[in-house]
Amino acid sequence: MGRYLFLLTGLIVLVLMILSPWAVPMREFDGTGYLLNPLGAMNPKGLTLPEGLSFGWLGVVFALWVLLLLAASVVVFLPDAAIRARALYVLGGLGLALFALEAYLFYQAIAAANEAALAAGARRPPLRRYALSLGAYLGLFYSLGLLLVARMQLPGGRAFLVRLRGVVVPVVSLLLAVVVGAGVVAILRPGLGTQGVEGLGLRELIAGKLDLVTYTFQILFSPILNLPGIFNSLSFATPLIFTGLAVAFGFRAGLFNIGAPGQLTIGALFAMLAGVYLPLPGWLLLPVAILAAALGGALWGGLVGWLKARFGANEVINTIMMNYIAASVLLFMLAANEYSFFGNKVTLPFKAEGFEGRSEEIQEAARIPSMINILAPNSTFSWALPLAVVAAIGVYYALRQLELGKRLLATLAALLAGYWLGGALPGIPVTISSALSSQLLNGSFLIAVLALLFYNFYLFRTSGGYELRATGLAPKAAEYAGVNLRRKMILAMFISGALAGLAATHYVLGAGMDGTYRLKTAIPSSVGFDGIAVALMGQNTPLGIFLSATLFGVLLAGGVSLNAQLGISNQIIQVLQALIILFIAVGGFLPRYFTDPLRAAQVETEAKAEQEARQAKSSPIAGD
Amino acid sequence: MELIIALFFSTLRQAAPLLLTALGGLFSERSGVVNIALEGMILFGAAAAAITVNRIEVATGGLEAFWIPWVGLLVGAIVGGLVGLIHAIASIKYRADQIVSGTAINIAALGAPSIVLQVLYNNTSTSQEVNNRLPLVNLGIGEVSVLVLIAFLLVPVVWWVLFKTPWGLRLRAVGEHPEAAETMGVNVIRMRYTAVILSGMLAGIAGAYLSIGFLNQFIRAMSAGAGFIALAALIFGKWHPFGVLGATLLFGFAQALAIQLQGGDILPATIVQALPFILTMLVLAGFIGRSRPPAAVGKPYDK
Repeated sequence: MGRYLFLLTGLIVLVLMILSPWAVPMREFDGTGYLLNPLGAMNPKGLTLPEGLSFGWLGVVFALWVLLLLAASVVVFLPDAAIRARALYVLGGLGLALFALEAYLFYQAIAAANEAALAAGARRPPLRRYALSLGAYLGLFYSLGLLLVARMQLPGGRAFLVRLRGVVVPVVSLLLAVVVGAGVVAILRPGLGTQGVEGLGLRELIAGKLDLVTYTFQILFSPILNLPGIFNSLSFATPLIFTGLAVAFGFRAGLFNIGAPGQLTIGALFAMLAGVYLPLPGWLLLPVAILAAALGGALWGGLVGWLKARFGANEVINTIMMNYIAASVLLFMLAANEYSFFGNKVTLPFKAEGFEGRSEEIQEAARIPSMINILAPNSTFSWALPLAVVAAIGVYYALRQLELGKRLLATLAALLAGYWLGGALPGIPVTISSALSSQLLNGSFLIAVLALLFYNFYLFRTSGGYELRATGLAPKAAEYAGVNLRRKMILAMFISGALAGLAATHYVLGAGMDGTYRLKTAIPSSVGFDGIAVALMGQNTPLGIFLSATLFGVLLAGGVSLNAQLGISNQIIQVLQALIILFIAVGGFLPRYFTDPLRAAQVETEAKAEQEARQAKSSPIAGD
Repeated sequence: MELIIALFFSTLRQAAPLLLTALGGLFSERSGVVNIALEGMILFGAAAAAITVNRIEVATGGLEAFWIPWVGLLVGAIVGGLVGLIHAIASIKYRADQIVSGTAINIAALGAPSIVLQVLYNNTSTSQEVNNRLPLVNLGIGEVSVLVLIAFLLVPVVWWVLFKTPWGLRLRAVGEHPEAAETMGVNVIRMRYTAVILSGMLAGIAGAYLSIGFLNQFIRAMSAGAGFIALAALIFGKWHPFGVLGATLLFGFAQALAIQLQGGDILPATIVQALPFILTMLVLAGFIGRSRPPAAVGKPYDK
């Protein structure tokens, strides 16, 4: 059964390789491309490539891929598992090498053509949008798949996958969501360069669709290719880290916090009130404003926790209701100045002059500087942050013997010392492009990293966090062991809300929304829902949350260009998130031993027993 | 007097979508499947209905005919039912966490219509206005959409189906004690599929009422929490059709009041808009009566 599935996959890959573009050396702004394919290029809009550019090697490479696919199809039917595995490893390695070769040849040819044109006096390189495409990527994915299949042939292969289920389920869900998202795009939009062109064959039409899908995802992932894009992605990721942590914290305690949008809103309101109106000395104002953001969210979340602990009211519906109430409160505070209660005029001071619903500006001292200003103030690269991070990590790992509290204190001291020392060192003058300096990434990202560390240490290294996780896994057992469930419930929602509220530091104190230091009624509180996808995709682990928040940050940043270039709504990101949540909820359609911890343990135990039996056989005890 | 009549009809109009959705949720939850996706199902139904009617109008050159809105309603119900099917497959076949699966649908309902709207109308937030709306019925002192009437007539029907037919008895048994029901020969899985799809269809109809009955176009996130309030009405109404009727009338009245107070100088509109949600929380906290959910609700069924 598995083998025939493997053959079928190989066949699909082959058909797609024949149909899809392998590389696109040239692309217009509207997306129309010159599509290279081993069976002849497809060029519906008649673009002309610079002279001397030849891709004759594509046919040879394709022939090699066909051979590789055939070889793999034969190899899986070899009787001996060990030989089968070895052969598949070799084939997978060859495939990776072949892909690297394609990439090298393609980018080499492009660079050569561009250089030639520039040398001949062209003002700009003629080829500016180019990339490998689906046909080439298929080879890469197939090779990676071969390596995985090879591992599966060896003893304990299934247990190996099951042990990695925290990665396998999210990755499979992500891939499924990408496939469905690609299908949606392919159905809704015409193929690139095929619209309005008469007399195209089926092959061109299919290639146009495949090109559209590939280009869509290339645009979505394109922010990782340059520094401004990375900054932009991290700027989108910062609030997602906070809300992802908030949702994950709830999950760990057995609570489903869908209220991150409302908690974020109230946190933003508190941060704004502190940042605009508190008459505090400068050095104190920023920390107080940050704490205010956390406090606002914490109260909004804690109230739901209290309602659940005291009255047994379901937290899911209550957090949703609190989202709507928070939205109303925000509008009440910022949409207008004058209200009448039973005929009495009441004037609120919060809304600033103008049509838009927005607060007054945050005081200078309460502003979080932009990341560029932290890393390189006055166009001079500063050693303060890098040195602080290095010192902190160094001290943390050096002091392994110390108990955790002291170790963390020493780390904090090292952090501060490193920051001070690094600031005193002479910096390196750098030039910062305007594309980079306009990015909205700000110091709130560092707070997000601290929040990740807090999550990690509190949940996994303290007794309070242990009790909290026990409450989530088995409330009755935890209660029997002496945990006060009601207090834990309130505390969990309080901290969860605080984490969501901190997301406001990015939007309000760090001007992460549009570069102005104000709270606006248009604050994108729905990132609170995005936090659900982040938490599920990250499997409620700190590293996972960071990675999935970054992934979604990249997609959100790419979604902006997608909208501009291909006219596909960036709401596609939201749909992808929903699909990922759905697919993770169903366990990626994988067998149940990937999602059920008991069955997973069973698989691992069986593999272990098998291994022990094999070892016992290979080294028979003397005299037996 | 005029104000009271206006308030009365406004209450009916506001309560109808809540009632349709909550009756749908009643089937789902009575069968043991939490349906937090009602909100999303309303939105999918609303978008499908408005887009269908608009496409028919475009294809026929602006024809105005009796059957067009009913086709829209039908498509809205079917799309709602399909979304229900997705929720059912996830939570019944794959034993997904029902709240997580429902949340996924709700998030999709915020994004997916926008993508279609962008392709059709080059606009991510609204559909084109339609001319063919669901007909109005004259009640002597005022007119309401025919769906309002249907929604209220459905209450005794649902009561009869749930409490007076063998099918209803089986459904309730499946939600209370699926193992016992299975032993008695009830097909638990099929009952749950039917119930969840039915709830999706009713929510889809509620959505169609919003987009081609109450208004004349689809607007992004136009349900504005109706699905969640319907869920709360279900709890408040103790999972009973007549209780649900009372609860939705109460919530509908709160919303109607909010609309009546808008622009007046009694209370600010933003405060009044929050009232239904505050009311819901008070209800959930049990300040206004306790209620007990079906025993097996939220638990995946394993044979």
